[in-house]
Formats: sequence, structure tokens, C-alpha cells
Amino acid sequence: MKLSAIAKTLDSNGWLACRRTAEQIRQALRDNTIEDCRKLKIAFVSSFTIDPLIDFLIVKVAENNIALDTYKGDFGQINQEILNPQSGLYRANPDFTFLAAEAASLDENPVLAAEQIIRLATVFKNNSKNILAVCTFIPQPGWPLHILESENEKDYQKANNLLKEKFQDDPQIQICEVDSLASYFGYQNAMSPEMMSMAKIPFSESFLELLSLKIMAHIKAALGMTKKCLVLDCDNTLWGGIIGEDGIDGIKIGPDWPGREFVSFQKAVLELYKQGVILAVNSKNNYDDVIKVLREHPFMVLREEHFAAIHINWNPKPTNMPLIAKEINIGTDSMVFIDDNPAERDLMGQMLPEVFTIEMPSNPGLFEKTLRETNLFAKAFLTEEDAKRGQIYAAQRLRNQLQENTPTLDDFLKSLEMVVSIKYAEQKDAKRISQLTNRTNQFNLTTKRYSQTDITAIIEDKSKRIYVLSLKDKFGDSGMVGVAIVDCASEKWRIDSFLMSCRVIGRQAEDALVDRICRDAKEQLCRIVEAEYIKTAKNNLVADFWDKNGFKKLVSDNNTTKYQLPLKEYKPKNLKYLKFE
Amino acid sequence: MHKKLEKIFNRAFGIDKINNSTSIDNVDGWDSMAHVALIMELQKEFRVSISPADAIELTSVEKIIQYLEENAVGDLKKKPRD
Repeated sequence: MKLSAIAKTLDSNGWLACRRTAEQIRQALRDNTIEDCRKLKIAFVSSFTIDPLIDFLIVKVAENNIALDTYKGDFGQINQEILNPQSGLYRANPDFTFLAAEAASLDENPVLAAEQIIRLATVFKNNSKNILAVCTFIPQPGWPLHILESENEKDYQKANNLLKEKFQDDPQIQICEVDSLASYFGYQNAMSPEMMSMAKIPFSESFLELLSLKIMAHIKAALGMTKKCLVLDCDNTLWGGIIGEDGIDGIKIGPDWPGREFVSFQKAVLELYKQGVILAVNSKNNYDDVIKVLREHPFMVLREEHFAAIHINWNPKPTNMPLIAKEINIGTDSMVFIDDNPAERDLMGQMLPEVFTIEMPSNPGLFEKTLRETNLFAKAFLTEEDAKRGQIYAAQRLRNQLQENTPTLDDFLKSLEMVVSIKYAEQKDAKRISQLTNRTNQFNLTTKRYSQTDITAIIEDKSKRIYVLSLKDKFGDSGMVGVAIVDCASEKWRIDSFLMSCRVIGRQAEDALVDRICRDAKEQLCRIVEAEYIKTAKNNLVADFWDKNGFKKLVSDNNTTKYQLPLKEYKPKNLKYLKFE
Repeated sequence: MHKKLEKIFNRAFGIDKINNSTSIDNVDGWDSMAHVALIMELQKEFRVSISPADAIELTSVEKIIQYLEENAVGDLKKKPRD
């Protein structure tokens, strides 16, 4: 049975219920009755009782089909756990460690407490290569009705800024902004002095539940489970009213109510777009009516150029969904669907349960809040590609239009005027390379996931090479879209990873990358290049990729097929559509 | 109140029936951490604020019922105190 299915049948209402449910989930995992879930080993090192948070977290992530193996440091033992290289923490070797300390438990002065945290994190980095998430301090509002800001509050701001600045570019350390969550929730609602006195639990039950969702965001980002695409309905979702009946002058969107709630909602969506979330439209309407609104309505925030796919027709929405996924080259399980109509949502949930359908409130005034209170699109960091992704996909939509209007594939590929660059990876590329290994599912021969720290180490390793491929054409720069990790330790080179971003498949870029590796290998007087195909649920697309490139099949067992290419007979490929830079 | 309490105990410990003698000594899983969770739930369900000093005393169904009868508001009639 699926973990998410089990979790949904269990009681998750409040800590008391989650305690028991978490235990039942642990038991099911021990009994091995769970099929096919993601696993993560996570550790908590804290200055307070962390048990209720762990109980909430185990239940919440189980609903997302994630099984946690948890390690809990004894509370108040922060220093011992982190400073001693032989501590239980390092022996447990967790993928992810959460460090949550109240400033006051470390030092009277929050700034000095932050400096202690920084020292601890530095030691952690010497002892472990895995990720550490550091929680910020919650500033205590000293005198809410006074006029002057309290010194203590200022010190808290300073302390948190210190933490954020210190670690913002550190690939191994993430900041968990508990302070911003508490200020969103309200200090008085977040804290519980009674529970603190009784059991050293500083937070209220409802804040603990919310905090578990925030930690889940870090976990999902680490597992590459962040959603990629937001698919939107139009009528009564992007604007009030029905364009087919009310017309462009009748729909509600603009600076005043009714209409301003839709502007706020669209602004939140535009923020997601700027963080690299791909947008699409799935609407039952006449195409021309909707396009006119996107192009001409003076108060629309979202415009035609923000959308990577626009499907406006009278088909059932679940029918459009795979077409949108195909157009953008992602899986339907990377998609999130927003529709004001409960019947449409219900249909989507039944037909395509892998699409995450957000349960929207009936009051459009709450749309923005509902969207902002999700952790679906949470990323641990932004790359340059994230910021450009929207334009990249809009360019792709134009490419597709060109392809439809060009008689042969040959003419189309020629007319794209593609320029390829293949280079060895440098340290500045590590973030993007790690992101590609974690996000690419379809065109990925071995689906090995690497953290940024892993990639940094591989780049340093003289016996290995990482090739990165970038592609541009007349519609724009797609950025880094291909990665190959090659083990060059002996005269047999071994291709450890080979992946391409799906939006450039079939344009010879993949052939160029194989060709470059083989030519380099031959130059280095290697005899053989070895490669593998490891089958997953999603990479059937490349099942015969090595065969097509002249590699010889050796053995296959279970899901792994091994290949070899003797280089003696290797002839460079004819890559006539590509220019090299 | 007995019914409501019984439901809470069922959700917390998986037991179906409670009586006055049900206590921290004879319920599996009613440890110190569960006790804190139980107090949180009682506060929520019966809309009471239980002080830490009172909380550590509420170690049996009998004591919980007595405490709630004296202190709970909402669907319970509050008895005059003193």
C-alpha cells in the first residue's frame, strides 16, 4: 500500500492524534508493508523538546508519500552533538540536520547567540558533508504598546541578519526562517509559555503544525519534489465573471472591489513566475476571447508572454492536462492545478490524482492567501536559470509554433540557427548541475541525484569530468541544459550520469554531448567507453539511447543495462544543424 | 463529558472504554510526553486553561473529570467555586 494512502486514513487532527498516527506509520515502515515511497534521514538538534514537531512532521510528510527516519539529539545537548565528531548525530549520518535553538538558551545577547550558531555550523561543516538547516530566532516583542523599539528586539533583528548574511551563498547550510513564520502567524498565537514551563515546548500546538509544513518544504526541496508548473483556470479564477457572457468590459478585475482580489491573486502568481515556476492556462472558453483579455485588458497582471502553454478549448480539463505537460516537457506529477469550480477540481482529482489540485476557498478574497500558504513551489535556492525560466518557456512556445508551420523537421532544425557550447564544469556551475540531476526525470540515463556538495567534490576530483552543455537559438538562450559526469580514472571511461533538459530533446544536442565525450576519450587513448541505462518509472524515453548511439549492449539485470563502445571504430558524428562555440 | 473524554482517550491510546480508575498506571503509552499532549487536547476540547501545577496532578480519569467539572466552560455548566 502507498504511504500517502495509509496516512490519509489516519487521524492527524492535533498533536495527541499525530503522536499515535506517527507511531502507526513507523510501525508500517518497520513491517515493510509500504510500497514505493521517498525516504530521508533527518536529525533534530534543539534547545527545547522537539517531540511534538517530529510527530506532526512524520504525519504531514507521509501524506506526501515521504518516509522519515528521524534522529533526535537529547535536548539541551546542542554543543555536544555538533562539536563531538563521534556524537550520535554524526553516527546517525542524516541527510538533513535541523538546528533549532532559542537565542536565550545560548546567550543573554541574541547577537552573541547567533555567533555561537555560526561557530557550530562551521564545525558541522568540518564533520559532515550533508545539509544543515539553521532556524532563525523568534524576536520577542518587548513592549508592543511603547513608542521606542526595545534594544532587545533590535538585537534579535541583528542576530537574524547575521545568520542570513553568513549563510546565504553556502550550499551546505540552509536558513529556516522561523522568525518570518512566527510574525506571519502572530507572536502571541505562536508561543505557549505554559507548555514551555511544563514540558519545554516553546510553541503552541497550531504553530507547531504550521512549522512542520515549513520544515516539509525544506525536505521536499531536498528530495527534488518541488512542483514545476502552475496550471490556471480563467473565469472566476484569474478574473471575476465569465468572459464568454460578460465580455472584456464586464469581467471583474481592477483596482477596486470587486476585482482587486483577482489582481492580488495574479500578483502572487507573477511572483512564482519570477521564481522559475512555469505557468499554463487550462480553460473552457473560446480561444480568442481569453487571448484578447491576456493581451488587452488594462488591469491584467499576467500576460500572454508569461504562459508557457495556453490550452483554451471545450475539452474536459483532464484531457488538456497531459497535452500541456507534453508541450512543456514535464510530468503531470510536477503540475499544480487551480480552479474555482469544485466540480472541475473533483474531476481532476479523480482522473489525474498525481496532479496536485489546490482546494480553493469559495471566496475569491482568500485566493491569494490560500496560494501563499502552500509549500508546493518552495526552493532551497534560486539559480540564474530559475529567473530566466519563464522567458525560456515562452520562447519554446514560439519554437513549437514555428515547427507546426515548417514543412519538414530538417527545415525546422536548420531555421533554428542553434549554437552549442560544451565545457568542463566550473565551481560556479555546481548549483545548476545539482539542480539538473535532481529535477530531470525523463531524459536521464541513470537518474543519480547529486547535492551541490557532491558536485563540488566531483569537480575537484581529477579522475572525473563533468561536461556541461548550453544551447541557444534564434528565439533565445536556453542556458545550461545538458550534463554528463564521466569517470576517467582508467583507460575505460565510464559515463556515470547523462541527462538533458527535456525541452531541447531531438535537436541533436544530446548527440553532440555523446560525440564530445567519445572524441575526448579517443584523444586520451582510451579503448572503451562504458555506459549504463538504469530504468525508472519515468525514463523510458531513453531506453534505447545508447543503442542508437552505437553502444553495444552487454548485460542487463533487474533495471540496469550495461553498455560498451569500443573506440577503435568510433567515427565522429555529423552534427549539421549545430554551430559550436 | 464522559463520552467526549472517552473519544479523546480512544484517539490518544486506542482504548475503547474508560472509567474512573483509568490512570497513568494502567494505560499503555500514557507516558510523560503523552501526558503533555493529553493536557493540550483537554484545553482545546473543553476550552480550559490548565496551569502546569494542575496539569501534573491530572493523572487519572477520575481526577480529570473532577477538574473539568470545576473549571471547564462551554457545554459544561460551571459550578460555583468557593
